[in-house]
Amino acid sequence: MKKLMTIATFAAFVFLLTLAPATASETEKVFKFYCAQCHGLTGKGDGPNVTKDFPVSPRNFTNAAEMNKLSDADLKNVILDGGPSVSKSPMMPPWGKTLTAEQVDGLIRHLRTLCQCEGKQG
Amino acid sequence: MKHMLTAVLSAAFLAAAASPGSAAGGDVFEAKGCVACHYTDGPAREKTIDDQLAKKGPELWYAGSKFQKDWLAGWLADPKPIRPMKFNSLTEENPGDHPKLDGADVAAVTDFLMTLTTDEVEAGKVKPKKNPKGRQIFIKKMPCSGCHQYVGRKKKISGGRSGPSLVEAGLRLNPDWILAYLQKPKVFKPVKMMPVFTGLLSDKDMTNVARHVASFKPKK
Ligand code: HEC
Ligand code: HEC
Ligand code: HEC
Repeated sequence: MKKLMTIATFAAFVFLLTLAPATASETEKVFKFYCAQCHGLTGKGDGPNVTKDFPVSPRNFTNAAEMNKLSDADLKNVILDGGPSVSKSPMMPPWGKTLTAEQVDGLIRHLRTLCQCEGKQG
Repeated sequence: MKHMLTAVLSAAFLAAAASPGSAAGGDVFEAKGCVACHYTDGPAREKTIDDQLAKKGPELWYAGSKFQKDWLAGWLADPKPIRPMKFNSLTEENPGDHPKLDGADVAAVTDFLMTLTTDEVEAGKVKPKKNPKGRQIFIKKMPCSGCHQYVGRKKKISGGRSGPSLVEAGLRLNPDWILAYLQKPKVFKPVKMMPVFTGLLSDKDMTNVARHVASFKPKK
């Protein structure tokens, strides 16, 4: 019985191990596909759409001071409903009809790794 | 008997060679290696981001509903970059090295591609016309201009670079296809870098913005 438990725990561990990095890399893929065109592949706000006529700079996600002003709920709102929903530029598109809820949650975690910050709490 | 067979065969051969119809165009399309980068049978196959990124060129299964015939023939003979960036890249510029066709191949392949239509596009819905509502959506209300080049004020080319350039959209695209593309994202591009606007733009707004985009012409 004990042996069985060990095997089960081990299997669960291996399962989690393979699951966790897969979701992180899946999220990175989602970020690079949809967000990097404006925010840049490393999130610095320097994607190929940002030429000198681009009206506002897309948020630099590595700027912890700025990113700390936003809570996870703020991030979720702007990702789902676009810039105007939080009185920001319409150049930040609404992604609510494009991304799944899991993809949005993954992106929020990804932005937190990029800024190395927790964000505003509450 | 043998003679007759040869005669029939050579007559069939001559007939095929003489009429640069769509069948011959399909053969040219294969012989020139176009199939290596473009698929021509629908419906859309892409299910994941990986599927989309694995493609070497845009799908052409609805080419006859998407393009204007004159533009297509001109482009096949002298292809100029449409997407500012290299296909599926955010870091490299479009190298402008698309294979060219010449002579009779141009007409044959154009005829072939124009037969690839879909009934997902309703005809006669969109009359190209500059209109203030469509323009507002394109440059202000929605982020269209953040990802697409267009001809702005004083005939200056402005806009973003991750999507196909729309500078020539009025010569290149079927106006009714533009609307169908916005209304039926799953049919034409189940996975793409462009956001889905259904539910965000009304049918009326989509029609206005499609009319506006269909009015884009390059400066003379
Ligand atoms: C068409 C360009 C574009 C794309 C694509 C884009 N963004 Fe943005 N984003 C912007 C711009 C511009 C701003 C800054 C708006 C402002 O400051 O007014 C912004 C701001 C943001 C902000 C900060 C909002 C705030 O309140 O300061 C977040 C978070 C964000 N984007 C997330 C994303 C995510 C996640 C994606 C991919 C799903 C994405 N963006 C794709 C242009 C874009
Ligand atoms: C090596 C891959 C490759 C081959 C081979 C190739 N194409 Fe393309 N094709 C592309 C790419 C990439 C684009 C996008 C070009 C651009 O945006 O400037 C494209 C664009 C097109 C377009 C415009 C499609 C659109 O949606 O903008 C047509 C039509 C086309 N190709 C036809 C052909 C024909 C006909 C042949 C054979 C003579 C051919 N292609 C061979 C890669 C290829
Ligand atoms: C975040 C960037 C982005 C935004 C915002 C955006 N697009 Fe796009 N658009 C693209 C990309 C990328 C493609 C090409 C998709 C593909 O072929 O995989 C595209 C394709 C198109 C096409 C088809 C062009 C062709 O030749 O295949 C049209 C028309 C178009 N977009 C119109 C619009 C309109 C109108 C809006 C605003 C309501 C808009 N786009 C907003 C990125 C964007």
